[in-house]
Amino acid sequence: MSRFLKIILAANLIVLAVLAFVYPHLMVGPGKLIPGHKQLEADCFACHAAFTGADSPRCVTCHKPAEIGRLTSAGLPIAKPLTSTPFHQKLVSQDCVACHSDHAGVKRFRPVGHFNHRLLEKATRDECQSCHKSPKDNLHQQITGNCSQCHSQDKWVPATFDHDKYFELDRDHNDRCVTCHVRNDYSRYTCYGCHEHSSDKIRRKHIKEGIRDYDNCVECHRNADEHDIRGPYGDGKGKGEGQREGGHGRREHDD
Amino acid sequence: MTSSLWRQHVLPFTVLLGLLAVATIAGDYLLHRLNLVWVGRYLGIPGTLLIIGSLVYSLRKRKYITAGNPKTLLTLHEVGTWLGSLMVLIHAGIHFNAILPWLATVAMGVNVISGMVGKLLLRRSREHVLGQREHYQLRGLAKVEVERAVFWDAVTLDTMNQWRKVHIPIFIVFAVLSLGHIISIFLFWGWI
Repeated sequence: MSRFLKIILAANLIVLAVLAFVYPHLMVGPGKLIPGHKQLEADCFACHAAFTGADSPRCVTCHKPAEIGRLTSAGLPIAKPLTSTPFHQKLVSQDCVACHSDHAGVKRFRPVGHFNHRLLEKATRDECQSCHKSPKDNLHQQITGNCSQCHSQDKWVPATFDHDKYFELDRDHNDRCVTCHVRNDYSRYTCYGCHEHSSDKIRRKHIKEGIRDYDNCVECHRNADEHDIRGPYGDGKGKGEGQREGGHGRREHDD
Repeated sequence: MTSSLWRQHVLPFTVLLGLLAVATIAGDYLLHRLNLVWVGRYLGIPGTLLIIGSLVYSLRKRKYITAGNPKTLLTLHEVGTWLGSLMVLIHAGIHFNAILPWLATVAMGVNVISGMVGKLLLRRSREHVLGQREHYQLRGLAKVEVERAVFWDAVTLDTMNQWRKVHIPIFIVFAVLSLGHIISIFLFWGWI
């Protein structure tokens, strides 16, 4: 390699090294910062500690955990909070980068919405409605709370609730949830919410068959077919499956 | 240019280079499709290690080390740098954000091409021009006329020679820029 070429090479590399120190956000930064941190763009060590990355203690110097979701870093009330209830105060640990990333290039690997609910304290974790709004569809508008009955905290879908496991909602039972689950209490149900099944009619039918304990209907009846009897009076299959918390009363029948 | 020159040298060069481009695009596409983009983020590490490993040939060639069969080491150098470059290209294709790694990638590309020119084109082209020169001399052409006849071939050969000469300086540029990129990653990224 000629001496001239070596000098050119060295000069170019020196220029690049100087540029890396003068314009670190352009030379080595993985993309633009979020608009709120724009003024920190050329000051990498405002957030990063050498060789250990962005560390939470530096975040906390501006963003006080007790104020997050209530006040801005300037101490002013937040006009439109992203969640109705501040939750940063209820995290199991203050690990900011577990959820937040500021550089555009890094954000690509952490899509918005991938919040890990396990970072929340147990009690807060179960209060879904304090952060999430219920969907506007007919089904969800009838339900309040108890989201985990159908949804996991990792993904909204697939929702795993299988009503057929308890009772088949065939065309004769294609009704509003509240017809059976009074006051949207999904821990209980009643079959006397419609004209067809009056308590008097049901009582008469069962007494005639010698059955005295007929409070927990789905113990024997899992669909509209009155000949498909499960439990002690059926063919034996399905006994004990899908018992609801609302099932109550004595189990024995008069044979 | 004879058909054998095309078939035996230019075509493999084009195919190998094209294959590198196609494999890079396919790799990048697959990682996105399979939702494995994070893998690309770390592919720079094995890619760099492969390239560093392939430098054993360069040390052997310049007699800094004496162990190892040069021919085997050359093959390892070629395969290692091709695969390493592929990994680094996929890694780079996943996220282009800063100028320094961009420049390192460009330097690596120039380095790969210059290496492939040296391997596949230069020797055969030199033989080709020498043969042409001898052919014209045998036909009794004067020296000036011979030089005129092979002028464009000689210019092409000279260009290739320059391209080949670029291999080491551009490697140094690539190495320094990559080192800058790696240092910046260690300096700013929380690995734990």
